Amino acid sequence: MIGRVRVLIVEDDAALASGIARILEGEGHAVDVMARGEEAVLGARQERFDLIILDVGLPGIDGFEVLRRLRAAGDRTPVLVLTARDALDDRVHGLDLGADDYMAKPFAMPELAARVRALVRRSQAQTGPKIVHGPLVLDTLARRAQLSGAPLDLAAREWAVLEVLLSRVEKIVSKESIIQAVASWGEELTPNAIEVYVSRLRAKLDPAGVKIRTVRGFGYMLEEFRERTAGQ
Amino acid sequence: MGAVGEYFLALGPASDAYDQALMDVGIALGERIRANEGAVTVDLPGVAEQVLRTDKFDAIYYAVRSPEGTALAGDAGLPPVPADSEPEEGVIAYDGEYRGEKIRVVAMLVPCGGRICVVQVAETINKRINLARDIVLSSLVPELVIVLMTLAIVWFGVKRGLAPLEDLSAEIRARSARDLRPIDPAQAPVEARPLVSALNQLFGQVAAASSNQQRFLANAAHQLRTPLAGLQAHAEIALAQGVPGEVRAQLEQVHRATIRTARLANQLLALARAEPGGFRPDAFAPVNLRTIVEDAADEWVHRAMAREIDLGFELSDAQVPGDAVLLREALGNLVHNALEYSVPGGRVTVRTGLRNRQPFLEVEDDGPGIPPAERERVLERFYRVTGTAGTGSGLGLAIVREIAAAHGAQLEIGEGDGVEGGNAGCKVGLTFPHG
Repeated sequence: MIGRVRVLIVEDDAALASGIARILEGEGHAVDVMARGEEAVLGARQERFDLIILDVGLPGIDGFEVLRRLRAAGDRTPVLVLTARDALDDRVHGLDLGADDYMAKPFAMPELAARVRALVRRSQAQTGPKIVHGPLVLDTLARRAQLSGAPLDLAAREWAVLEVLLSRVEKIVSKESIIQAVASWGEELTPNAIEVYVSRLRAKLDPAGVKIRTVRGFGYMLEEFRERTAGQ
Repeated sequence: MGAVGEYFLALGPASDAYDQALMDVGIALGERIRANEGAVTVDLPGVAEQVLRTDKFDAIYYAVRSPEGTALAGDAGLPPVPADSEPEEGVIAYDGEYRGEKIRVVAMLVPCGGRICVVQVAETINKRINLARDIVLSSLVPELVIVLMTLAIVWFGVKRGLAPLEDLSAEIRARSARDLRPIDPAQAPVEARPLVSALNQLFGQVAAASSNQQRFLANAAHQLRTPLAGLQAHAEIALAQGVPGEVRAQLEQVHRATIRTARLANQLLALARAEPGGFRPDAFAPVNLRTIVEDAADEWVHRAMAREIDLGFELSDAQVPGDAVLLREALGNLVHNALEYSVPGGRVTVRTGLRNRQPFLEVEDDGPGIPPAERERVLERFYRVTGTAGTGSGLGLAIVREIAAAHGAQLEIGEGDGVEGGNAGCKVGLTFPHG
């Protein structure tokens, strides 16, 4: 679980801004809303936020410019860019400028909430040694895993595969990229070997409701943990 | 025509020369006339007469007549001098007929014993016809050659002169409706430059009108997205708050309508981008279809999971020159359709790669498929297969068609391959030109 965080929403459309604020407040976060880019640059300088949700199409300086100024000032706060413009162009541009994630309008609120959770988790994981995913806890310093409070025995390769999947919850991780992340230098790993590790992981994690989905012909995806799936 | 005129012109000199020869004979004959006490005789020895009458081509006749017209010697039947003729220096030449043949007669007046007799010398006209024919032929053949050469020169000249115009027409004919670039006036002949600049002006106006419309549509879609996002957010928040059944059903309607509207806005924007003038073919860059699929797969997989559909991939590299945003849009529409029309538990497969060295992308599902009779019509805008349950706008395949056309790709709609159960399945693919 992630703790309560401070989120800055920079969005000039009042209805959308209040909608996003409601959702994030519902998740237990503290939310500030600003409608102008200049205001946001100033605000982010004065106070510390855990996450900034930044619209591209702002009056005055636009979202990209806000992002550029933040990063130029050394601000590393995770930024989720929202855009009403053409998806791919903006995504590439935004990521180039140092955005952490990107969403095209309109979007479903649960999707937004999930992205926010993932971003916060990622930024916390970078600062802390523990990765938490529902009942699963990985202590990367001690290299100890726990599932529902009980110690979980993971082979080195299983640990490596799980770490890759945990770094990209709800995203497809291709078999090739798992191989790249897991194989030692100069070693050949086949996709079949990855399948073996994943099926062992499944056997261990599935009873606790932690699901690894197979995407046929592509790779795997660690599903976001949902309480209600735990008992199924 | 020229030849006919030539013939008559040639007859004149031919006749003159031969008339002169006849006249010489007549003079020689005249000198042989003896007048003796009123009796006029011609002293022509047999040998001389033979010489006189000998000719390679023509029969030669002569006659000597008394002033009264009585034939004194020779061929008495030669036609007499026409009454209305006016002899020139005592000589006259005329045409006539003798023994069933055309002849030329030269008559002259000669003194005979204090009187004036008439000597007629005639010959058939074979020589004259031959000469005339020779003259005509000798002038006609070179003339014919000159005419043919002139024709050839004119033909080549005109063809050569018009070649740039032909090239221009071919270029315009070969253009697609999407290509509104101006024609290079330097390529056109000087005479056609005003035409080219008028055409370029028209191209410019059409392109401007089209890009204005594109801009309007794009702006409209952009402007729609933010309020729609707000609407969707509030509908979802309200739905999440345990509202009573009646209100909940209405809120769900609002939510669904919002999502449909948002998708429509996106599709109109995509259509505007895919239409001529909405993209820049000169800005096409190498795109790997496989990468496009891999980048977008997350989004699709989540939708597939929500609908309990097994979305799978069979991906190989497939490089095409293209517009990545448009290609992603095309793929997104194909996958969206496949997911929309598959039943829960169904199977959808996305493929990219090379087939016969041609890059392709294809999406196959095991849904009900599209009946062959409908396959053309589903490409029309806003057309939806009758009796289908989906909430689509009917724009998806129209967008795919535009994007295919923009990339010179072939769009094919067919049945699925290995579909189990009663469904035909559906396979929609784009095949790109190779190389």
